[in-house]
Amino acid sequence: MLIDINAYTGHWPFKQLHGNSCEGLLSRMKEYGTDMSVITNLNGVFYKNTQSANDELYGEVRSKRAFNDRFLPFGIINPIYAGWKDDFNTCVKNYGMKGIRVFPNYHDYTIDDPNLVELVKMARDADVAVALTMRVVDSRQRSWMDLSTEWGLKDYVPLLRSVPDARFMLLNLSTPLAISEGDEKTIKNGNVLMDTSGRYITHFANYVKRFGKNKFAFGTHFPVFDYYTGLLRIESLRKEEADEADRELFRHLNAKQFLKL
Amino acid sequence: MNRRNFVRNMATSASGIILGSGLLQATEADAQIPPNAGAEGRIKKMMSYRKLDAHVHLGLSNDPPELNVDFAERLGIDRMFLSKPVTRGPGAPEDFRACNDVILAAMKRYPGKLSGMLTLNPTYKKESLEEIKRCTGEGMIGIKVYYQVKINDPLFYPIIEKAAEMKMIILMHAEASLGIGGYRMKYDQKIKPLASIPEDFIEAAARYPEAMLQYAHTGGGPDWEYACKALRNSPNVYVDVSGSNNENNMVEFAVKTLGEGRVLFGSDNMYYQSVGKIMDARLTEEQKKKIFFDNYHNILKKGGYHVD
Repeated sequence: MLIDINAYTGHWPFKQLHGNSCEGLLSRMKEYGTDMSVITNLNGVFYKNTQSANDELYGEVRSKRAFNDRFLPFGIINPIYAGWKDDFNTCVKNYGMKGIRVFPNYHDYTIDDPNLVELVKMARDADVAVALTMRVVDSRQRSWMDLSTEWGLKDYVPLLRSVPDARFMLLNLSTPLAISEGDEKTIKNGNVLMDTSGRYITHFANYVKRFGKNKFAFGTHFPVFDYYTGLLRIESLRKEEADEADRELFRHLNAKQFLKL
Repeated sequence: MNRRNFVRNMATSASGIILGSGLLQATEADAQIPPNAGAEGRIKKMMSYRKLDAHVHLGLSNDPPELNVDFAERLGIDRMFLSKPVTRGPGAPEDFRACNDVILAAMKRYPGKLSGMLTLNPTYKKESLEEIKRCTGEGMIGIKVYYQVKINDPLFYPIIEKAAEMKMIILMHAEASLGIGGYRMKYDQKIKPLASIPEDFIEAAARYPEAMLQYAHTGGGPDWEYACKALRNSPNVYVDVSGSNNENNMVEFAVKTLGEGRVLFGSDNMYYQSVGKIMDARLTEEQKKKIFFDNYHNILKKGGYHVD
């Protein structure tokens, strides 16, 4: 079994994406034998009212049985926009979402914003995951209208420390992973799951050694990234680096346990 | 079937047993295995493509050549074309000679796996031409240059002329990022002022149509759509799709814009992404074979540097 914990539908305003619909993603999933995907509507990064994107996603997922069976939609919540608590409750209670995503840098608030901390506590209390995306695209080839700065892993860690009993997903590890010993301990001790899509995972076996084999799960960051690279990191492990049981953790067991599927 | 049942049912029919890639022996027939053949079939298919890594380094980090060889074996890369450009300081002759010595030592250690590309600094014309002679005499087959001098600078003319005479490709570090090297200087980051941007390649390629230039790493940070569109009408500029960026459609866009004969596989030491993006590209088997192997091999053949 295979579960992708980091996929999207929707548009990126500065570049044409391919396969960026539920149908497009499902087609890749069938090609690679992926059974389920966590999916988020990229439009919500750019809509001021992110709930419109969550409604779009929920509607599309509900429109077809295959989508409903195989997609795990995550809503995007902007905790400094009016009605965000209602948005959270709609996503979790009405739509049954198992997680939310936040984009502090795109939505212009800091990692220690009290509303964000409150949102994460709400997520913890509702037993849903909070996904933090290190970046969506590479700032080196950004549009002149896009953000010029990126956040490294260390910039997100304070939130993990603020609500240590919440469940966090750290996705697309493509910004610097240099962190202090204390930050590393926070990640290792926390209820944290990272995906395999990010460019800084230059030698997957070493990162498994560093953070532990229960900390990683297959993720694509598709359709921003190609579909295969995140999987290749797992499939090209040598036998002495990961046995079949370990590979099963990365392919689906860690995701299943973390998301309580 | 609801989601819970779906998960339960799928868990009992695991999608396939994965073998360590080092154990798999690829055959020609494996290229025909569809990607949905499961993990084992997918790895075998990936391993079945012959691969020449047209852009890879040694000595820019603490990683030893054993790591290059490990990934070559892990991902089925026949040969890596290795270089160590001068990335700090003035790039004086003693600097580029020392870099080349690192590569020469690795070539000797792994003669079947690692080939060398020499580096130089055109500011030092005499010493650079001497270095070409020294390094090619020891088996190096191409030139890798960084941003000490732009590719279209007159200082580069004697180097390009020598490379064209020897039918060697010049791999030049390239940028198309806001404010770097002259690209949209409104956003000037005041770094790398002498980095080569697509327009610099166009000018050099037009002046020397007999030369072969390699625009480095469309996945290494530059705006790859801009770069490919700019280079469209410069037939003697090849692009390698190496680099850490594995954006969906990058390889397809390069093929569509430049033609399937001008796109090269390279890793820039970002091994997973560089293989993954080509494997996943919506291209034909034949196109993938060209990108992974044939295109670069044809370049090498021109100077008699081919691997077969």
